[in-house]
Order: sequence, then structure tokens, then C-alpha cells
Amino acid sequence: MTATRISPETATALAAFLLSMADDEFVIGFSDSEWTGIAPILEEDVAMSSIAQDELGHARALYELLAALLDDGRDADALAYDREPEAYRHAGLLDHPRGDWAMTMARRFLYDTADDARLASVGEVWPPLAELIAKVRREERYHLMHVLAWADRLARAGGESRARFVAALEMLAPDASTVLTIPEGEAALLDAGIITRPMSAAAAAWRAEVAAILGPLGITLTLEPAADAVAARTGHGDAFRWLWGEFTSVRRSEPGATW
Amino acid sequence: MTDPLALEPVLTPRDHADSGARPWNEDLSHDERFTLFEAHVRASGKIEPNDWMPDEYRTAVLRFVEMHANSELMGVLPEREWIMRAPTLKRKLALTAKVQDEVGHAQLLYRVAEDLGKPREAMFDDLLAGRTKFHNVFHYPTRTWADIGIIAWLVDAAAIVAQQALRDSSYGPYARTMQKICWEESVHIMHGRDVVVTLMTGSDTQRAMVQEALDRWWGPLMQMHGPRSDRTKDRDLHWRIKAKTSEELRQEFLTIYVPRILELGLVIPDRELAFDDATGEWRYTDPDWTELRTVVTNHGPMSEERLEFRRMNRAATAWVRTAILAEPRAVA
Repeated sequence: MTATRISPETATALAAFLLSMADDEFVIGFSDSEWTGIAPILEEDVAMSSIAQDELGHARALYELLAALLDDGRDADALAYDREPEAYRHAGLLDHPRGDWAMTMARRFLYDTADDARLASVGEVWPPLAELIAKVRREERYHLMHVLAWADRLARAGGESRARFVAALEMLAPDASTVLTIPEGEAALLDAGIITRPMSAAAAAWRAEVAAILGPLGITLTLEPAADAVAARTGHGDAFRWLWGEFTSVRRSEPGATW
Repeated sequence: MTDPLALEPVLTPRDHADSGARPWNEDLSHDERFTLFEAHVRASGKIEPNDWMPDEYRTAVLRFVEMHANSELMGVLPEREWIMRAPTLKRKLALTAKVQDEVGHAQLLYRVAEDLGKPREAMFDDLLAGRTKFHNVFHYPTRTWADIGIIAWLVDAAAIVAQQALRDSSYGPYARTMQKICWEESVHIMHGRDVVVTLMTGSDTQRAMVQEALDRWWGPLMQMHGPRSDRTKDRDLHWRIKAKTSEELRQEFLTIYVPRILELGLVIPDRELAFDDATGEWRYTDPDWTELRTVVTNHGPMSEERLEFRRMNRAATAWVRTAILAEPRAVA
């Protein structure tokens, strides 16, 4: 199946799915890059910058795929930068400010594990996406190893470290399921085989995975399913408005210019 | 036009430690060792961390490398502010990678310095308390996106002129580290030039932005290598820790970059600047050495703010370093 042979209904759903994944990677890439230059140790600074670049690279590839699908004259940069804040479709989990290192690692832990469950749900029928996801998963494997090492270390260090990490997990937990939502047309994507299981099934697998990792660390987290797939990815608050103001500032200073 | 410096292969075969005899390591009197050590260094030999070395040499190398490491670390901050504002995905990726390189350079250099006997935390303490220094150019604000182009192109170019000469340093670990650093810096120059060329071929506002940035950065750039000095009295040259004088580096920078700056239609804000055929050197308005002294003693426009930002972040992440060093506890 190629992009041109996808039904209009499936194309709309696919566009929404691609946009939600691209915006997720774009926004978490920005949050991660806020640590560039100021991470707790130099070695971690270098690691975090690499992760940020990976995420932004994934976002760019997904926006490019979306641009080809939409074919409306917008390129990846236009899709990434030239929207009003309300038009972004990233998960509510990513709407929190960067916070401290515990918040950053708690967010990465919840996002990386949920994203892994989402990526594992993508089928083979649309090769452009399937090929991209295969590449993305090769890199995300290392992000998972990185964050699991940190989760283990922060939890087992006890004291302030554990307290901060557990508090950050508990604060983010109510929003964590938002990653496993598709804003519209999930049924069409399932019918077409672009995804192979509903996001509710992916979320169940993810909750089991999280419990299996946190259980041995003595941490129990309540992860309720996201109530509303649309609300999960809209209504972004002040933290994102600030971020949007920053990342569009140079671009808005001279609209239409080449940078 | 591609920058020849940027393309010069910097990954020459590794400078391994001389395999020959290292007689100054033998059980000799201090003076005998000193004489043998000095002869080796003066004959372009390399010194390795486990070699015996006079305190004067150890202290001089440490001071030089520590200042370089501090500069890489503090040099992260002016550009870091613009990572969030980079106007395209490509620029955002390139700038993140560039700043990441600088952090990586700081890490490499602090490790070279650590080998000489000063712990990393002690170097951070001294930097943040103002007891050690960092390069003048990192004490200035970055006001527009054009600064990002000018810094990566010209500040890094001025730095690479000095750093390429340091690949011949007598201290082996430093010389080898500089090979990797120079290679990465040459990529930064291409990134910076690409940002500048894009702006210069853009709108009038964008061109004006570059000229305004160049006007602000020219003074600090001309001061960057330091005042003229007497080659015979320079201890770092004597020990071959570095290979060229300040003026040699400045002349080299001007020879390579003045034509490149002019070809883009930029105006260099120095009416005295001209190549003197008689002396074979560039003439220029004497840089403001008072400004240089003021700035590098942490009285520059952004000195205190940047140091305070580092102090604040170091304090805010202290608990993480404690957690890393803690003995893991049983849980569950």
C-alpha cells in the first residue's frame, strides 16, 4: 500500500496519528535540549544532548512523512513551527515544565515506555511509516536503557533522590496515558492495518511493563486510562505557551524569511 | 567557497609517546633530571602523564589546560540560550550538536587537567569563585540570531587558529585531545558560515542583523589572542606548551578571515585595517587592552550573570551527584 492508495478517511486518520507522534517527539526533544550545557554532570550533558537530537530527528522524519501525505505545500519546518499553540497535538504528559532532574527522568521514563508500546503497535502495511518506525526503535532502545539506568539509580539511592523521583512520577502519572491516544480515526487505522492493536491494548501492555519495572524498586504507580483522546492532546497550558513563544521567536521576527 | 582551514585534515596519525629512552625518569638529582627533561621538550619531544616533570612545567600545563576547559564550559552558555529559539529543525539540530561538542571538549580537557593532579570539583570551585579565568569572548551577551552565526564562524575560527597550533603541544594528552577538538571546531565553522551566508543572502533586516553582530564582536575578536608578547620571555612557549605568539595567531586569523568577511559584503569596523606589504603584516587599530583585562577578570558585561547561572545550576543538581555516588540501597 502506498500513500496514494490510502482511502481519504484513512489518510485523515493517518495524518492525525503522524502529527501526534511528531509533536510528541518535537516537544520532548525541546525539553531535553533545555539540559544542554547545564546537566548534573558533563558526561550526562553529552548524553542528554544526543537524546534530544535523536528525538528532534524523529520529529523531522515524521513531519516529512506528514508533509508528503498532506501535499499542501508545507514542508517539515512549516509543520513544526508555523502553527498556533492550540494546533499542536502532543500528549498532555509533555505539557509540564522541564522541572528538576527527577522530573526530567520521570517524564522520560513514562514517555519512553509508553512510546515503545505505541511504536510496537504500528503495522507493516504502509512501508514509509513501518521503515521509519524500525529505524526509530533502534535508537529508542538506547533511550530506554539510559532512562532505566537512571530510574534504578534514583530509586535505589534512597533519601532525597528517591523522594524526588517518586514525587515526580506521582505528579506526572495522571497525564502519562495521554501518550497512548490517537486524536481521531483510530478505527480507520486499525481497519487499514496501519496499527495492529487499539491504543487501549497498547496501554494495558504498557501498564504491565511499568509495573514490572517499578515493582522491584518498591514503587506503585496508578496509571488510569486517558479519559478523552481529544482532550489528551489539546488545551496545552502555560508551559507549552512559553515554549512555543521561545521556539517561534526568531522565525516570527521576519515571517517568510529563510533561516 | 570552502574554508581551507575547515577542510585541512586534522586527524593526522596519532602522536604516540616517543618510544625512545626517557632518561629524566631515572633516579637522578633534580638538576640532572631537569636538564634532560628540558632538552627533550625543546627537541619537540612529548611528555606523558606518568613522566617525571618539573613542578614549573606541571603547573604551567595545568593552568593552560584548565583555562581552556573553563572556556569551553563557559562558552556553552552564550549559544545555549539560542538552542530553544533556533528557527528551523536543521538549525536546532546543528546548534544542539555544536553546544554538545563544546560540553564534550570541556569534559575531555578537564580529564587532561585531572591527570595533572587537580580534581574536577576543585576546578569548578575555582572557576565559580572567580579564582580561575575563561576566555574574553564568553563574557559578552548574545543579542540576536546573527550572533549565533558570528560566534560559530569567527569566534570558533579565531579559536581554531590557536588550537591547531596546540596540536604540537609538548604535553602529549593535550596535543592528542586537540586533534579531536580541532576536527569538531572545523565543523562548527562551516555551520556558522552557513548561518551567516543564509542571513546575508536574505532580507535587508537579516543582513543588517549580521553587520550589527560583527560590529559588536570585532573588538573582542581582536582582543581574543591577547596583547603582543616577548617570545623569549613566554614560559608557555619555552616549554612548547603552545607554539605561537599572540600576534602570530592574530595575523594568521586576519590573513585567512578578512577576505572571507569582505566577500560576503560585510564591513569590518576598523578603518586602519590593511595589509602592509612592506612588513608583510596586517595593520590594525590597537585593540582595547583595558577592556580585555576588565573582562577576563570577570568584570565583563555578562561575567557575573553567567557565573551565577552556573552556580545556581550546580547547586540545583548537587543532589543528583550525591545520588550517583551513593551506595545503592535495598528496596521493596
